[in-house]
Amino acid sequence: MKYIFTLLLSLVLATNAYATPPQMTAGSYNPQGTLIEIEAHGLVCDFCARAIEKVFLKRAEVSGIAVNLSDHRIVISLKNGQNLDDALLEKLINDAGYTLARISRKEED
Amino acid sequence: MKYKLIYLALLLAPTAAYARPVSYPGGVTVMTQHNDEVTSSHIHYSPTAKYSIGHRYENHREANFQLHAAQLNYLVNRWNKPTSQANVYFKTGLGGAYNDRGKGTDAVGFVGIAADWETRKYFLSYENRYLNAGKIGDNFEQHARIGIAPYVAEYGSIHTWLMLEAHYNKTAEDPFRLTPLVRLFKGPALVEAGISTSGSALFNFIYRF
Repeated sequence: MKYIFTLLLSLVLATNAYATPPQMTAGSYNPQGTLIEIEAHGLVCDFCARAIEKVFLKRAEVSGIAVNLSDHRIVISLKNGQNLDDALLEKLINDAGYTLARISRKEED
Repeated sequence: MKYKLIYLALLLAPTAAYARPVSYPGGVTVMTQHNDEVTSSHIHYSPTAKYSIGHRYENHREANFQLHAAQLNYLVNRWNKPTSQANVYFKTGLGGAYNDRGKGTDAVGFVGIAADWETRKYFLSYENRYLNAGKIGDNFEQHARIGIAPYVAEYGSIHTWLMLEAHYNKTAEDPFRLTPLVRLFKGPALVEAGISTSGSALFNFIYRF
């Protein structure tokens, strides 16, 4: 019973995690693609946010991007079947002038 | 009239400790500044986030000379922290200057250092520059700024900053000047306006493409 409850709770949490489509600040959200969430350091102004958007939107793999200055978070929506590996993500963040702190991924259906 | 003023602002504007001179890779930035001493413009392109190259124009009304120069801005170091960013830049330029009061033309060169520290609430910066235009003259100027945002705005909203700029140039008519100013910042555009303690108006504009 405990395992069933844990399984159900995990499913509910996983479903709700991206229940509301993330609002993109540039490009568009692709519900079929992978979502990557990055925490980056040094994001303090709109010029920083625009730099991140410009660098990532040049990539053919990227459908949309959302930059949130308050929690230093970048959400990247990828096109169907596309991926950006961790090393490339770190390079892109560094190339834009910022420092990568954390990466997490959510595979969409 | 409105478009003439915008056009004038884009064409004109000097060195000042008011914005980072290097953009994202492939970014183009237009920076203009106007005060009683100088009107200047600087247009630069950043091949990488480490440096930018561009053109600088300055019209020194008090000292009666104008200059056109190629300028290099180099990011010496950046410290990215969770809630702050600090930078040190080296700037240099080389070009020609023209004096319309009999001194003619001469080569001009300048070097300077700029440093800033910024959070979403507080801002500090310092910048200096030594300029030598041969027979036309030379000068050494320094700018320092402190700023506070009365509220923290989200990306894409209007950000407001209240700032105080101190400027020192011993060769100027008014060597030390304090200028309280307001900065409005939204997306790719930044505008600043202020009036110094001696009544000199300041107007700065930046657009990052």
